[in-house]
Amino acid sequence: MSRLNLIFLIAFIGLLIWVTLFQPGAVSTIQRGAQVAMRPFMKASNEIDTAVEGLGGESLSPAQLRDRLKVAEQERDRLKLEVIQLDEILEENNQLRRALQYREKSPLSLVAARVISRKPAQWYNTLVIDKGSDEGLAVDSPVIIPLGEEAGLVGKVSEVLGPHSAVVLLLTDEMCQVSAKLENSQEQGILSGQRGATRTQPNLKLRYLSKEAEAKPGSMVHSSGTGELFPAGLVLGEVVSLTIGVIDAEVMVKPVVNFDDLVDLFVILPTQPLETEATKPEATAIPAKPVSAP
Amino acid sequence: MRFFLLLGLLLALSFILQEFLPVFDWAYGSRLLLVHTVFLAAAIAVPFPAMLVMAFTCGFLWDARYHVPIYPDEASLGILTQSEVPFGFTIFLFGITGALLQGVRPLFRRGRWELPVFMIGLCTGIILLLEYLVISFHRGGLEVSPEFWWKLLMTCLFSSLVSPFLLLLLSRVAERMRYRIRMDGLKRRHTYDGDAL
Repeated sequence: MSRLNLIFLIAFIGLLIWVTLFQPGAVSTIQRGAQVAMRPFMKASNEIDTAVEGLGGESLSPAQLRDRLKVAEQERDRLKLEVIQLDEILEENNQLRRALQYREKSPLSLVAARVISRKPAQWYNTLVIDKGSDEGLAVDSPVIIPLGEEAGLVGKVSEVLGPHSAVVLLLTDEMCQVSAKLENSQEQGILSGQRGATRTQPNLKLRYLSKEAEAKPGSMVHSSGTGELFPAGLVLGEVVSLTIGVIDAEVMVKPVVNFDDLVDLFVILPTQPLETEATKPEATAIPAKPVSAP
Repeated sequence: MRFFLLLGLLLALSFILQEFLPVFDWAYGSRLLLVHTVFLAAAIAVPFPAMLVMAFTCGFLWDARYHVPIYPDEASLGILTQSEVPFGFTIFLFGITGALLQGVRPLFRRGRWELPVFMIGLCTGIILLLEYLVISFHRGGLEVSPEFWWKLLMTCLFSSLVSPFLLLLLSRVAERMRYRIRMDGLKRRHTYDGDAL
């Protein structure tokens, strides 16, 4: 090996070691810079994706479009009323909670967010949303989507990239673990995605159930709230099958959220303003464990 | 020098184009890793020091954009401060695979691309496989599903399919700029098409 090659190799190894020793805060700063630089392209890409998805759709006549618009407007008005009613219920609920001194049970404070990039990392199921530290998002903030009268869990914030962007780790990822319970049962377990799972087969696994667990296909699985990271009652999926093992049982769960169609989401804000990654100039502490094990 | 500048531009362009490349659900959620493919193709055409510089730059920028900071369970106990796949790991992977591809430079110089094309696909697979193994190591236990293999295979295939076009582009540019491929240990120096200078 020539002297020049050797010098470059040593310099390469030295730089590599230096980079791998970066603290999480420094990595976060670098990633924020990259996100800012690439944001226009990410947005453009997402707009193209949306436009292309629309191309494959059915073509409708103007009359059909008018009908659909009318139906959509009626639905919008109905939902507006529902939101007002829900706000009132939420406020009443909050007052009752306060009255009962359930201080640890926080009222849901939601922030609407829009998906700006849905290209997952190679081995992680993630997407990027357009809300960040400025809106009060913090690592581990749950991300939900309305499903009729209930809310479905989409995932959790894994990284706040900047004032207006954050990475969401989807429920289908193995590292997004939720304490969950079966419908009409006291059985509780940990729900998570499967390693290397694809979006086409995003079945989830509900593990650590007792051997006596009973789960009928089609019955719903909700978050139990035991882990304190995710509020109780969020819809996670429906039971596909039950497997009884030697010491425990596990259930395959089909998620109710369609992860391909995510556009508008809601992030549940922490009850107290947490110090987010983005506001930290230099991370000195080890980041919180990203798993919500009970 | 102009050749290296052009390679730099090509790599920068690949980062931008990567944002627009879709994930194919029909291909088990795989996609074309254009940055990887461009880097690996370029690694064949440049000398070892330049390859290392490219590996560092591309790996750093890739991690800056796509690194996902998921911390292993031990992090909460104060044992580890690094994420599962450490920031900078792609630099290492690019360095290793780039070095492997340096071995097929003589073939590229002669215009024989069969092995380089195969190697580019293989090295893309090696990069992904090593990332997956590191993740599995942290999480304990190796879970390998058929979907995983399909995803890996399809990604390799996409890289292999695109690489001839990149090699063609690089060879044309090298030819046009009279870029000389110098091989360590060889007495003669060659132009792209193998003529002795």
